Amino acid sequence: MEKMKLLLVDDEERYLKTTKRLMEKKGYAVAVASSGQEALETLQKRIIHVVILDVKMPGMDGNQTLKAIKQHHPLVEVVMLTGHATVDSAIDGLKSGATDYLMKPADIDEIIEKAEEAYEKRQRLEEKIRAAQTKKFMRSPREILKDDEA
Amino acid sequence: MDKISENQKQINHPLKRSILTNMIVIPFIPFLLAIGVSFYYFATTLEQSSTASLKRIVEDHCHMIDSFLMERQSDLELITNTYSFDDIMEGAAIDGIFENLKKRSGAFVDLGLFNSRGIHKRYAGKFQLLKGKEYRNEVWFKKVMQTGYYISDIFSGYRNVPHFIIAVKQGADNDAWVLRATIDTLVFDRLVSKVRIGKTGESYILNSSGISQTERRSGGIGIMEKDPEYIDFPHSLELSPSKNGIETFIKTDPAKDQYLYATTRLKNKEWLLVVRQEKKDAYKALYSAMYITLLIMVVGGAVIIVTAIYMTEHILKRMDTLGMEKESLGNQLIRAVQLAEIGEMAAGFAHEINNPLQIIKGEHLLVETLMKEIAALLPPTSGEDLDEIQDSMDQIKLQVNRCSEITHAILKFGRKNDSKPEVLNPCDIIPEIIHMVEKKAHVEGIDMRMDIAHDTPRFQGDASQFQQVILNLVNNAMDAIAQAHGTSGGLLSVTSEKTDQGDAQINISDNGVGIGSDNIGKIFSPFFTTKPVGKGTGLGLSVCYGIIKNLGGTMTVKSEQGKGTTFVITLPAMV
Repeated sequence: MEKMKLLLVDDEERYLKTTKRLMEKKGYAVAVASSGQEALETLQKRIIHVVILDVKMPGMDGNQTLKAIKQHHPLVEVVMLTGHATVDSAIDGLKSGATDYLMKPADIDEIIEKAEEAYEKRQRLEEKIRAAQTKKFMRSPREILKDDEA
Repeated sequence: MDKISENQKQINHPLKRSILTNMIVIPFIPFLLAIGVSFYYFATTLEQSSTASLKRIVEDHCHMIDSFLMERQSDLELITNTYSFDDIMEGAAIDGIFENLKKRSGAFVDLGLFNSRGIHKRYAGKFQLLKGKEYRNEVWFKKVMQTGYYISDIFSGYRNVPHFIIAVKQGADNDAWVLRATIDTLVFDRLVSKVRIGKTGESYILNSSGISQTERRSGGIGIMEKDPEYIDFPHSLELSPSKNGIETFIKTDPAKDQYLYATTRLKNKEWLLVVRQEKKDAYKALYSAMYITLLIMVVGGAVIIVTAIYMTEHILKRMDTLGMEKESLGNQLIRAVQLAEIGEMAAGFAHEINNPLQIIKGEHLLVETLMKEIAALLPPTSGEDLDEIQDSMDQIKLQVNRCSEITHAILKFGRKNDSKPEVLNPCDIIPEIIHMVEKKAHVEGIDMRMDIAHDTPRFQGDASQFQQVILNLVNNAMDAIAQAHGTSGGLLSVTSEKTDQGDAQINISDNGVGIGSDNIGKIFSPFFTTKPVGKGTGLGLSVCYGIIKNLGGTMTVKSEQGKGTTFVITLPAMV
């Protein structure tokens, strides 16, 4: 199984630094971004499975970022990280395609747990996609060429 | 508060003046107009009618005097036509004739016979002395010889007694003779002054030069005296003495009394008949009307002024109360807005504090992880220090969690509630809510009783709103109980049942202090509170009322001061 690659998005630099370190100690590959814009750039450059996204950020906020991620990278799973006052926006996030949400202040273990769940979901989804493609290729091997062309 | 009411009074001062002025002036305008107009018409009518009656009297009276004089003249003419000069000259024939004449009218005093040369030939009457005297050059004799008859002014003559004469001529030239009769001024006076109008009405006669010919009842001028007023009489009378018109005018006499005059000329004598009445007397009705009018004006004016003052006070008092109410409402509104702002700010702070807490948590975890790694490398002797550090780390974790609990509580409180209607079962939700306050009730020594009938129908509502209503009412009840009983002897019961109409009814009763009858009508009004300033917003019950009303239900209260209060909520059943 492929190792889970995480992206942490939060405007608090210190939080990013500490959390990245803690997660790496637990053996996860972690990338960080301090804004929605940066997160989108990172997603372009690298393969990321799960994004942990703070809802309240200056500039492009969590929900806008989420919509952009889902538009360009529909298979990336997103876990929203929210303060209590913005539960409503977390709900909006779930409606826009977030996998789950977490309440601040959250334990690192909670975050990892939710991230793992989201990763599993993604893997199941990828599995299905793979199975479907296999079926398609079995029926008509020429489709591979078409897929490549696309 | 005193300062506020003082300020309010000062503000009201100009307003008071204008209200008062309006309240007095506006009713006064129609009031004065009505009185003035009616008084004016009354006065005019009265004046016209008194003048008319005075005119009528002077006319009638003039006729009477005229005919009296005419009759006396005819009496004499009858004699001169019946008898000849010689007939009368014969012996004492004149005495017989005079006796007959007196029978016709008591006004005759004497009778004299004159020949053409004016020699007094015969005489009948009281004054025998005058026989044989020659009157040829007397004015009256000349006049009678000229015109055939003559009525004289009053004069004293040889007798020194005021009298006037009527003389008629018979025959012509040297055969002419004259019969002269003296008229009793007393009889004539009585005839002239017979007029009676009111108290002061009187009549008298003036000759063409203003000499009084009869006694005036009110005195002032005696017989044969000049009337000082005469000069002031309208001139038209003098200019056309033959004119028979009636003149009316008002004159002030030297005694400053105003008189209403009516004058007319007699027909067969250049005499002026004057009828006058004191104005005061003639306008007696007018004066009494004036007094009544004045009385009405004074009383009516007083009533208007008193009413205006009373009404103004009333209005101002009402305005003061309204102003005060407005002010206190405004203050409460500001307080409510402040509270709401504080709530929002608190929520904002709590949210912001969560971020640093998150970081602290992360740092704590990192330190703990590192600690474990270091502990493995260190010699076992430092175990005690490590334990202490571990203990401290645990405390940090504990306190961070505590902070996060506080922020969560604040956020929960400040959360905006969107009502999400759902079907609520009173048998479930009421015990749940009551469970939340049971502990508090126990601490305050309140016997909490709950009796939820199983057939209480379900109803529609938002669970958290419904909870808010019940908690608010229960908390109010607990406050009321604490005020009445302290910490023992309280009784609070929450019951529910199905009404006859099939609705759900929830009763919350306590045996607390109760609500005064002054306040019971206001308890559901926003911002009404009996709690000291800053303790209550006065919004609780009004919000509860609003919630229940939104659910289509009703909320009523029954209370007796000192006995307790019962709130009754009914909610439409959900089928």
